[in-house]
Amino acid sequence: MKDLVRQKLGIHVEIMDLLNEQIKKEAHSSSIYLAMASWCDHNGLDYSAAFFYEQAEEEREHMMKIFKFINDNGGTAYSPEVTGINHDFDSLEEIFETALDQEISITKSIHNIVFRCRKVQDLTTEVFLQWFVQEQMEEEQTIRRALELFDLMGTEGLGLKLLDERIPGIRK
Amino acid sequence: MNLLFQSRYYTSYQSDRDRKFLFDFGHKTIELSFCQLLAFRQNVHKMNLEAHFTGDNKHGIEILVLCNKEHIFILDTHQVVDLKEFMKGTFAMLELNSLVV
Repeated sequence: MKDLVRQKLGIHVEIMDLLNEQIKKEAHSSSIYLAMASWCDHNGLDYSAAFFYEQAEEEREHMMKIFKFINDNGGTAYSPEVTGINHDFDSLEEIFETALDQEISITKSIHNIVFRCRKVQDLTTEVFLQWFVQEQMEEEQTIRRALELFDLMGTEGLGLKLLDERIPGIRK
Repeated sequence: MNLLFQSRYYTSYQSDRDRKFLFDFGHKTIELSFCQLLAFRQNVHKMNLEAHFTGDNKHGIEILVLCNKEHIFILDTHQVVDLKEFMKGTFAMLELNSLVV
């Protein structure tokens, strides 16, 4: 019997499912960052708002990368629904802590897919995901640098405003 | 035509000559391309079996639309249970074929 599945689909079907789940997560991430940007905007933290608008765009780009990868390899990518986005935050520090938790969650998810690729011997997707492994390391480093600012500067008095002005510098 | 998998209500085949998949629903046989097969698989995956028992889908009916709305099936709980196992079985056989080819 011909291997029609292999002729049509260049990646493992189980991995395609995991990548479609990842698309949902990246879209969810993008919306979370948009909510954070909105909060920062309303609270006069312009540099932090700009940072999170940029983060929202980046997560969408990540999502599109995976989306096109699935379709380019003969699979079917599904446009994700996004629900349950929190818009209420207590402080800028809470926002950056939430952002770091979010990035860690995405990192774990990517690593999980890589492990699964190794198990089912889907080298194509494993190589594709190497970029994401590297990217997630950089994303975590960036948010960590922001949280270090809170430790160093505090947020008393003008501290918060001065900290906000240093946010553009956390991207290397 | 090569038999892929057979369950209580359904049978799947692969046609090497036409490079298509055939699904026999008992009263009707449909032809699917690989892309349509993936869409079929996704539709089955999305069916919430729990809802049949928790009261959210108290009538226990699922409407399955396939091949860009060319075919429509109305399934009861038993048929949905069998369909989910059938889909797993079909893809398991396809994966097995990939290993031996």
